[in-house]
Amino acid sequence: MSAAGEPSAASTAPEPALAPATPGPPLLRVEDLCVQFPTERGLVHAVDGVSFSLERGRTLGIVGESGSGKTACSLTLIGLTRHMGARVSGRVLLDGRELLGLSERDMRRVRGAEIAMIFQDPLSSMHPLFTVGRQIVEALRAHRDIGRRAARERAVELLELVGIAQARRRVDAYPHELSGGMRQRAMIAMALSNDPKLLIADEPTSALDVTVQAQILDLLARLQRELSMAIVLVTHDLGVVAEMADHVAVFYAGRIVERAPAQELFSHPEHPYTWGLLQSIPTLFGPRERELRPIAGSPPSLIERPSGCHFHPRCPYAQPRHAEVDPWLEPLPGDRDHQVACLLAPQLRRQLSSQPAGGRAAAGAIVSGAGREAGA
Amino acid sequence: MSVTASTPRGPAGARVSPGQPLMQVRELVKHFPITRGIVFRRQLGAVRAVDGVSFDVLRGETLGIVGESGSGKTTTARLMNRLLQATSGEVRFEGQDITRLRGAALKAVRRRMQMVFQDPYSSLNPRRTIGAVIGEPLVIHGLAAGRTARRRRVSELMELVGLDPDQLDRYPHELSGGQRQRVGVARALAPAPALVIADEPVSALDVSIQAQVLNLLAQMRSQLGLTLVLIAHDLSVVRHMCDRVAVVRGGEIVELADNEQLYSAPRHPYTRELLAAVPGARRDRRRIPR
Repeated sequence: MSAAGEPSAASTAPEPALAPATPGPPLLRVEDLCVQFPTERGLVHAVDGVSFSLERGRTLGIVGESGSGKTACSLTLIGLTRHMGARVSGRVLLDGRELLGLSERDMRRVRGAEIAMIFQDPLSSMHPLFTVGRQIVEALRAHRDIGRRAARERAVELLELVGIAQARRRVDAYPHELSGGMRQRAMIAMALSNDPKLLIADEPTSALDVTVQAQILDLLARLQRELSMAIVLVTHDLGVVAEMADHVAVFYAGRIVERAPAQELFSHPEHPYTWGLLQSIPTLFGPRERELRPIAGSPPSLIERPSGCHFHPRCPYAQPRHAEVDPWLEPLPGDRDHQVACLLAPQLRRQLSSQPAGGRAAAGAIVSGAGREAGA
Repeated sequence: MSVTASTPRGPAGARVSPGQPLMQVRELVKHFPITRGIVFRRQLGAVRAVDGVSFDVLRGETLGIVGESGSGKTTTARLMNRLLQATSGEVRFEGQDITRLRGAALKAVRRRMQMVFQDPYSSLNPRRTIGAVIGEPLVIHGLAAGRTARRRRVSELMELVGLDPDQLDRYPHELSGGQRQRVGVARALAPAPALVIADEPVSALDVSIQAQVLNLLAQMRSQLGLTLVLIAHDLSVVRHMCDRVAVVRGGEIVELADNEQLYSAPRHPYTRELLAAVPGARRDRRRIPR
């Protein structure tokens, strides 16, 4: 099991539920998920042994750079990698029901009804030749027995729900007639049409201006409260995660390298990659003169991944044996909720992270509240 | 970041006297006509992309221009270096009005101000080697004449921006995004400009790579005595990099202030709105108990 590069080497340990706030099984449980794409150049290990769970009404933030496997993971949850020739293994349980083994026909019943997804670019994910209303009606009628007129009324209601003014008129608009923010609202309305239990939002605001982004994030948070949906929020933006997520999973090279409650992650990051991310972005808070410390090198290829700890070629604290041993995602001593896949000794990590160059100094600057705590 | 101590020639006009305007922009206007009809074209109106903008770029400073999409920030940049012709108004660079320059005179001015573009994937010719891409401004402006001299200068530039000169004969697709943006910076520095205009230089890069390029730009500025205009939508990036910041909206500057002032005590409501919208700034508001 310790062979380098062997899929599923990381984290096959049984999963503690992320937030044992509500009793009963979690809404979503992902166990040892692996997604591979055969290509001409070799096998792409897009997702490699990922496990997590998510409670109802909670938000999990998935953070990573391009090529970290975050999108492949979220597409697999909703069964959209099937057509891409992906080899998928592991388990995805929604309300205790295994999704990976479902037939395409059964999966189609789940997709859009129990799990819905919103994408980064609403213009390319809506049909340009159909009105917004017609597309929502289609989504409604695909999953329930409802007449055209009633479906259209529901479409108007949904557009009102997501804060589109003059919804009765806009229901007949074509996607290109709406602004970027309005389109994203319309896509959210479409996703919500069948009251999904789980919403997967893949970079939902990355294409939007900052003021519009704020509105969309507010909208998602409000809808989540009102409908008690669970959200998987996939993003590269740590600020968005700090604001929206209850728990955060940091992806690197197809694996989760660190996972913790959001506040814990930003106040006590443990993985050197997380430190690197936090130190390499400029922030609105904290001292301006703070030097940006880039992570050396580039994200690895998912075809030929580095041996041992996949982060070791870029890790400033790597030791020779880190090129050989594959770390597991393990809970911190005394904190089951905070897990990290790092070969450094916990005491050493703690020591490093409290240094000025370490993670903790930088972490405070991501969010205004934490910035004050850190006494920046 | 491996930058050698042996700096190639600094900018030709390295007489850095901070505070002197290198560029003066006055009442700059760019309207794009909206037309209808093919045979009988008639103008229906105009998009006022830039609508009466005035500011100075001081020697040796980093000036930030922030705004949302459609605010006119990129159009402003393109007017500054004459990639676009202004509808009216004036851009003075090193004391000379460049808005009506043509031919050789315009070419001479362009050598002194260079551009770094947003997308390092589409802004580098995929069929030319890195060396050819970086060396092109040298050929255009008749600098470092001769193949050997040019290769030497290109190698120096590559080392300056932290690229391995052995990659001189590689093609852009063989490089990572961060490395490509370094090529873009090296190309901009090749003709030893006084002013570099960087239009969203990091927004297409991965989070962990952005800092490499931002640090490089800051370092080049201090090492070569450059003046830098940084155009960005990311308020945090601008805060980190810039001495003064102009906030643009609807083709107009709504606020222009020192960095410290703008971020700690913004005057214009729109600036306050922008700052309040940044994720993380809003965390306190959002954390409503569930």
